[in-house]
Amino acid sequence: MSLATSSQPRQGFGFWLALAAAVVFILLPLGEAVLISFTSTIPRDGIAEGSFSLINYLNIARTPELVASIGNSLVYVSLNVALCLLTALPAAYAFSRYAFIGDRHFFFLLLTFRITPPVVLSLPIFVLFAQFGLVNSPLGIALVHCLFNVPIAIWILESFISAIPREFDETAFIDGHSLPSFFLKQLLPAIAPGVGVAAFFCFIFSWVEVVFARILTVTAGKPITMAITALFGFQTDMGLVMAMTVFSLLPSVALIYFVRNHIAKGFVIRT
Amino acid sequence: MRVYNNRGWLLVAPAGLIIFCIGIVPLVTIFNYSFFDIFILKQAYWVGTQWYEEIFGSSRFGLSLARSLLFSAIVLSVQIPLGIALALLLQRAGRLRTGMLMLFAVPLVVPWNMIPVLWLSLVDAHTGPVGRALAWLGAGFDYKFNALHTWTLIVVMDTWHWLGLVIILTYAGLSGIPGPYYQAAAIDGASRWAVFRYIELPKIGGVLSIALLLRFVDSFMIYTEAFTINAGGPNNATTFLSLDLGEDIKAYNYGSAAARSIVYFLIILTIAWAFRTATERRRAFSGEVRA
Repeated sequence: MSLATSSQPRQGFGFWLALAAAVVFILLPLGEAVLISFTSTIPRDGIAEGSFSLINYLNIARTPELVASIGNSLVYVSLNVALCLLTALPAAYAFSRYAFIGDRHFFFLLLTFRITPPVVLSLPIFVLFAQFGLVNSPLGIALVHCLFNVPIAIWILESFISAIPREFDETAFIDGHSLPSFFLKQLLPAIAPGVGVAAFFCFIFSWVEVVFARILTVTAGKPITMAITALFGFQTDMGLVMAMTVFSLLPSVALIYFVRNHIAKGFVIRT
Repeated sequence: MRVYNNRGWLLVAPAGLIIFCIGIVPLVTIFNYSFFDIFILKQAYWVGTQWYEEIFGSSRFGLSLARSLLFSAIVLSVQIPLGIALALLLQRAGRLRTGMLMLFAVPLVVPWNMIPVLWLSLVDAHTGPVGRALAWLGAGFDYKFNALHTWTLIVVMDTWHWLGLVIILTYAGLSGIPGPYYQAAAIDGASRWAVFRYIELPKIGGVLSIALLLRFVDSFMIYTEAFTINAGGPNNATTFLSLDLGEDIKAYNYGSAAARSIVYFLIILTIAWAFRTATERRRAFSGEVRA
């Protein structure tokens, strides 16, 4: 495309060495985890310790807590993605098209809460949520993860909406669309990739978060992350821990695959 | 051009309501708590600014702050240049680049409490490949009792975790540079360094500032990963700001924890403000128009 790529058709040895080193660095812990997940790591009848085995993956299915945790995680993460998209879409549209009193301050507030670490707010969130019966419920985690995901969703959606010229909206309004009908029938299809990218980021940030997820699941509704932590004990079955970890990566890796072209093409985020 | 219309508030109201309930209300709550000594929530005694005086009066806060700042400085000076370099390399990697970008994104989706578990298993002296290799080389790696080794492990682990973010953001910025820029530079006979310094760096300034901000705050307030590695040890050598706060919460020192939270929030607020001021100045300087 650009001269920078075409003027250097052949890359040197150092170029590939540097990239290979980076790939090895990234793959090392992942490869180790996959390897251990296929190894029987505690003494069992019929399987030699340290031999290749699918026992860990079978044990995930045989452990009710682990199966339940997969369901719990999926429920609150999906709820969170839905909440974030529903609230972020109109807000992103407003930031893209209108100037209004305090818009810059509100944007600043979003930025501040995006970078506030969960541990700072974990204590009052727990106290408040306990009063409203939101502890041990997926809705509680889904709500609190909005703290960092709503700002991200607004940033991403805003950049995609701003890439569409204003005339697009005006034509739709002249055609008789109301604002809700314009959102659903015109805007959403036009920024579908943006919605995908926003959903992707909301999903992974909610999926990997542990501080809120831990304090808000005291007795029930434990997510995958906490179910894995619970596996550690006097004699930890590392094989099972790694199998569950590898398993927990699958939905996110599938999502990375779906948004790969948008990651590669790049998107601009307004600051 | 954006039109002035306060109808905008109607549209941001749902998002505003959520942020109000889970951000502002908890913040006001801990601000209130921070002036009380709390045994159980129904028995709170007014202590005024005692918690704040204790935080600023003891060396504990200063030392944790210094450790966190040092950690962030190391993290930024390693990850930002490395991330930019790899993004530049990736641009020339042809068909492999999408696959590699996907690979670099994978550490970002590993649950945070599993990242230290992966690394501890890797450096285990008996079973981990890296640990055994180091032992074979005669370099005893003792992350439990050697502070330097604990720091090294946490920095390497954090780099593994977050390098992908810097690479992806930088790569996104680089992809946005139009080809004619490079052609003009080639006609002028610009060196590779000049192309980077005068074309690429200014063009990726926006995304780079986001990467800097996110990497700074997240490393400055690192909690889960650092705690799991060595619980702040050895001898508090890796007790960062968030670990201090975690200790208070675990010990049910609600008043003290609340005061600490407020202090940390003010630090974050200052960082956010500095970031915005810097962004606006850069925008004004480069004549960029806010879309």
